[in-house]
Amino acid sequence: MRDHFSSSHPLIQAIYFVAVLIFSMLFMHPVFQLLALTAAAAYVLLLKGRRAVRFLLLGMVPLLLLAAVLNPAFNHAGVTILFYLRSGNPVTLESLLYGVAAACTFVTVIIWFSCLHVVMTSDKWVYLLGRILPALSLLLTMSLRFVPRYVEQAKRISAAQRCIGRDVTQGNWLVRARNGMTILSILTTWALENAMETADSMKARGYGLPGRTSFSLFRWGTRDSRLLLTLLLLLGIVGLGAAAGENTIRFFPSILYPDITWRSMTVYTAYGLLCSLPLLLNGWEEWRWRSTVSAS
Amino acid sequence: MSRRTLWSAAIILVIIPATIWAGIYLLNDRRYYFVSLLIILYTMIPFALIFERRKPQARELIAIAVMASLAVAGRAAFFMLPQFKPVTAIVIIAGVSLGAEAGFLVGALAGFVSNFFFGQGPWTPWQMFCFGLIGFLAGLIFRRRDKLPTRSVLCVFGGLATLVIYGGIINFGSHLMFSPQFSWEILATVYISGFWFDLVHAAATVFFLLVLARPMLEKLERVKTKYGLIQEKS
Repeated sequence: MRDHFSSSHPLIQAIYFVAVLIFSMLFMHPVFQLLALTAAAAYVLLLKGRRAVRFLLLGMVPLLLLAAVLNPAFNHAGVTILFYLRSGNPVTLESLLYGVAAACTFVTVIIWFSCLHVVMTSDKWVYLLGRILPALSLLLTMSLRFVPRYVEQAKRISAAQRCIGRDVTQGNWLVRARNGMTILSILTTWALENAMETADSMKARGYGLPGRTSFSLFRWGTRDSRLLLTLLLLLGIVGLGAAAGENTIRFFPSILYPDITWRSMTVYTAYGLLCSLPLLLNGWEEWRWRSTVSAS
Repeated sequence: MSRRTLWSAAIILVIIPATIWAGIYLLNDRRYYFVSLLIILYTMIPFALIFERRKPQARELIAIAVMASLAVAGRAAFFMLPQFKPVTAIVIIAGVSLGAEAGFLVGALAGFVSNFFFGQGPWTPWQMFCFGLIGFLAGLIFRRRDKLPTRSVLCVFGGLATLVIYGGIINFGSHLMFSPQFSWEILATVYISGFWFDLVHAAATVFFLLVLARPMLEKLERVKTKYGLIQEKS
């Protein structure tokens, strides 16, 4: 399935990911954690399909359990004692729950990053960084281009070496290793010489002169304005809620969290909407597409 | 050099303590990972700003990009051997040949770019910082331009830097990432369980420096002479 959030403006995506990552790292209140974890898991499923199921079940669930068990083994604070370890240290309910909450934070952040990896492709990073750090962004572009190019060139060098019996697949292991080093050495020389020619070519075409423009495919559309407004509104509500302490929870010595009121319900809703913004956008686009198809 | 010192001083003396203070008082001293992540990001800011302000030449940019890309391609070439990667060795070579600042940029860039191929995560800033720091130190320690450092000296530096700096900082970071509270016991466990991985990594750095340092440094010197690359600024 195509992800519609990926086609929105990179700035929107950047704001979204920075916000959800920071909030996921900071909020330890169970309602907030559950909302973020569910939204992140649903989004990664939508982005990666079957591969994500394996990632979640085989990677994230064991990690969650391991991290949750680790805390009570080292942390013995808390008033509700469940049982004693053989070493005589108590395992408390509070430290167990705290371990679960911390593990939840960790796993949520990893899942968010896995979504970010799919959505924020390198061209978007280059575009966003190009505005504030042009030279570093150029460095990034060049490196991203050079890596596949070097891999390709290494294959060519290796093919040429094979003709004279000096490839990594020929000879005993010592000869093979030496041939590998030769190929690497040829590649390095080629890369440096080639790079200097690129640099001269850049200079000849006026790199470093003022009035430089950069190419990008990204346009700011009406949908992006709407998304930005929605994001800012939700961020405002969650930010105010966080300032009012709705997101806090105390674990030690005993668990204490703010009462659930209308105000906290509003903040929960806003946070839930914020985290599932890409999912909602996809649902909306899907609905609009269907109604367009059925109307015509 | 002075402007970087000024920036660094501002960051070390004002912004980092302010962040730690905010972490303790506003976030109830429980968000170690978040606070440490911010500090790691701050340390990279002066390098970025100085580099941008200086308006680097095309050749300098390209040289840094080439070294970072070689490091990433090296990491990709050894994907089947966990921890046995030439990245640190190439970053050290870049630092020695191109200077401390370029060394930092090569390291940080290699860390960032390689994760586009291997997966971005909360570990990316830590890797960027560690590789960058090692490149920076290599540039500072071996700054004598008239004579290349000997292979054995480079190997000792590379092995120690990988084991102590990279291993030390990355393990510390993964402790903060993985468990909610700082505890010496967990930290010790993390260091002990990570020790063999760090040792393999250090051995890889020593091996690659042994094999690569001489030819690569000579190639870089040749290119620098041939094209008049990166003049020493006094």
